[in-house]
Amino acid sequence: MPRGDFLGSLEQIVMLAVMRLGDDAYGMTVRREIEKRTGREISIGAVYATLERLEAKGYVSSFTGEPTAERGGRAKRHFEIEAAGHQALDASQNAVKNMSEGLSRRWKRA
Amino acid sequence: MSLSTLALWQWIVARLIPPAQAEALIGDLLEERRLRLQAGPHVGVAGWYSRQLASSVSVLLWASMRRGAWLVTVVTAVASLIAALRIMTVLQSALRPMTTSSFANDVIMLLSFAAALAACGSIAASIRLGAARLLALLVFAAVCAEIATSQGAPLWLMGSFLVLGPLATIAGATLSGWLRRVWL
Repeated sequence: MPRGDFLGSLEQIVMLAVMRLGDDAYGMTVRREIEKRTGREISIGAVYATLERLEAKGYVSSFTGEPTAERGGRAKRHFEIEAAGHQALDASQNAVKNMSEGLSRRWKRA
Repeated sequence: MSLSTLALWQWIVARLIPPAQAEALIGDLLEERRLRLQAGPHVGVAGWYSRQLASSVSVLLWASMRRGAWLVTVVTAVASLIAALRIMTVLQSALRPMTTSSFANDVIMLLSFAAALAACGSIAASIRLGAARLLALLVFAAVCAEIATSQGAPLWLMGSFLVLGPLATIAGATLSGWLRRVWL
């Protein structure tokens, strides 16, 4: 990961959702997982725009599944985290952890 | 929300992102819609579906602009239109001295218009397919504006411009795609 190129909050959330879902990670399951765990309503377009950005950076990869009838004959696009994605996520999470270390009492007081 | 409105939103989404991604996104929405319809009352589902499509369009449009794809398409289409008008002027200047008949001049104008647009549509499509489609749309709008403002031009000529312009552009784009498939 290039120096200083930390992941944005939505990028981290989407990557963590992909990681949680494993083999079942595709647009709608990622969207549902985010809504379920964060309570944040998110559009499917925002999920795809984020995944596309992450794929362009080489942090996730995708492959097309088989078309199914319940999807109007349309195929799913599955996502998985690449090694560079794991590193980027680790670096971003560590940065936040290091920056917030020792501050918990301060923001609890505020 | 009517079926035609839904189809229109889906069409817009499909234009904003690559075909494979559009297929996956619309498939995801249909799957979730079906699950929601099975799970409970149908009342909120149409609203949810249209909200998802509408908010997705704005997000994807912004993402496409950030990628530069949208901008490249518009710049290519506008540049192709300007180039087509220049080519048309050059062709007309070269061919007009050959005849004094006004009907023949109109036909020359029409043919140079079609030839210039076919050539520029082909070039635009080789840069970006969407640019050729946008060019056809721009030509159609430009001819409509010309019909609305011009007076005294023969109706058959304006009608021919309206039909031939977009058709020549799409024909040029199709030819470009076919030639690329044959050569590559």
